[in-house]
Amino acid sequence: MKTRDAWRILVITLFLLFMIVPVIATLLFSFSTRWDRSLWPEGWTLNWWIAVTSHKAFLLTLKNSFIASFATMFCLLVLVTPTAYWMELRVPKGKPIVELISSFSFGVPGVVLALALIRFYSKIPLPIINHPTILVAACMVLSLPFMYRPVANALEAIDFRVLTEAAQSMGANGWVILTRVIIPNIMSGIISGCLLVFSTVFTEYTLTNLLVGTRFKTFPIYLVEFTRQDGRQASALAVISFVVAWITSLLIIWATSKGGREATHIIGR
Amino acid sequence: MAIVNSIPVRPKKSSSSWLAWLGLVPFILFGLAFELVPLLTTIRSSLTSKGNLTLEFYRQAMDPLFLRSFGNTIKLSATTALLGVVFGTLVAYAIISTKSKVVRNGLTALADVTTNFGGAPLAFAFIVILGSTGIITILFKQIGIHLYPAFRIYSISGLTIAYLYFQMPLMILLIIPSLLGLKREWHEAAVNLGASDFQYWTRVALPILFPALVSGFLLLFANSFGAYATAWTLTGSDVDLITIRIAALIRGEVQLAPELADALSILSLLIMSACVIGYMWLTNRAKKVRA
Repeated sequence: MKTRDAWRILVITLFLLFMIVPVIATLLFSFSTRWDRSLWPEGWTLNWWIAVTSHKAFLLTLKNSFIASFATMFCLLVLVTPTAYWMELRVPKGKPIVELISSFSFGVPGVVLALALIRFYSKIPLPIINHPTILVAACMVLSLPFMYRPVANALEAIDFRVLTEAAQSMGANGWVILTRVIIPNIMSGIISGCLLVFSTVFTEYTLTNLLVGTRFKTFPIYLVEFTRQDGRQASALAVISFVVAWITSLLIIWATSKGGREATHIIGR
Repeated sequence: MAIVNSIPVRPKKSSSSWLAWLGLVPFILFGLAFELVPLLTTIRSSLTSKGNLTLEFYRQAMDPLFLRSFGNTIKLSATTALLGVVFGTLVAYAIISTKSKVVRNGLTALADVTTNFGGAPLAFAFIVILGSTGIITILFKQIGIHLYPAFRIYSISGLTIAYLYFQMPLMILLIIPSLLGLKREWHEAAVNLGASDFQYWTRVALPILFPALVSGFLLLFANSFGAYATAWTLTGSDVDLITIRIAALIRGEVQLAPELADALSILSLLIMSACVIGYMWLTNRAKKVRA
């Protein structure tokens, strides 16, 4: 029994070290004067943080990332919630099609999605190529499963048929039923979905880089630029990314623990 | 309020079922506009040259140059998927066999958070610890082990370590339900029949877990196959992966026929989606067996 405990403690300790050391090291690195020849930082400073946050591009890229994330979140919410409800209620036969569209991005590499969009939209006279619109559309495709899954799970967990019929018998119309009856009941699924979409789009690099590049600079683009120029300032940006990712993830765990818990994870980096 | 009442309250199922499909039109249109049609355009373009059907671009894609990129990507994906499956399962087993509920939930939450990590910040964190002046590199130097130049974080072996950072947690999340499905009685029965722990694992537990391990491997393989941001931040164009090649073709850094990029894309799409479909097939089958 003793050796079994020892084995378990060893495995868990090594796992924790592997997961935590890179994050902590980046954090310390961003506050250290110099840390490239000694085991411990030679001194502490706020210089890198001050330098990197005082660039004009810092707030701009942060703002752009928030715009892209919230636009994607909002569009997906409007597209997915009514569709999922309507499908479950009236068109159960449509489920395979809806699920296929929803899980498209699982099977398609990001670079291929970017290429396909460029190929098609540079041929037709719609001025969305190189424009943030195409980025939002691509991010919607990328994060569709993260909105669809929690919403569909939440819908399956409630008795939406009974709720709908009860509301109808009291004379509510479709819009009122959806917004006042169904949505409040699947709120935990919607919140998890929104947070998952947010964290996917906020850290998105591949599609942004290939579809809009420098025309609409987002935070990850800014970060990668700095990793090539100035590692010290890049470390501060990386810490911000980590903090945003941790906060959203903790909120997701909190939101899913409120509703029915379903493992949802982001794949395909 | 006339509009309110004009909405059919309780439609008959048979007569309105085709009308009900209209409700799915916006969603299906979205799928057509941003998924299917762009993809079909790419497939068609990869198969046509001046209006004629041709396999010429696929023949070009079989050039040793690109075969090497595919080879590297497959090697990297297989290695990180295999290591992810082995270590992930080991850690997952350690997690579920821990008695403290707080530790169990905490570690599962950690896996939940970190599997979503990736891309630029992760790559940068690994430069901080394992770069040529990284902290771990210095630590090893102090005890007399010189990682460089034999090892480089900006290489395939460096990428393998960085990918494990999101592969391992993904495997942990995937395998925990299957591990919880192993019944204590099976272990007891095996022990009562005279089996050692080792025999229990090799003869009973692992064969039961096998489909879950294979499906985990497939999903991890796909996850790593399609990855681009981490590799690009960490190594730039130094590491020859197929996603990095396709991206370079899109950005126009390399002047080649655009149809060649299409063909390379379709080939990588086929590999990745085959893995995901295999994963879905295996997990659906497991669900049916359980039900």
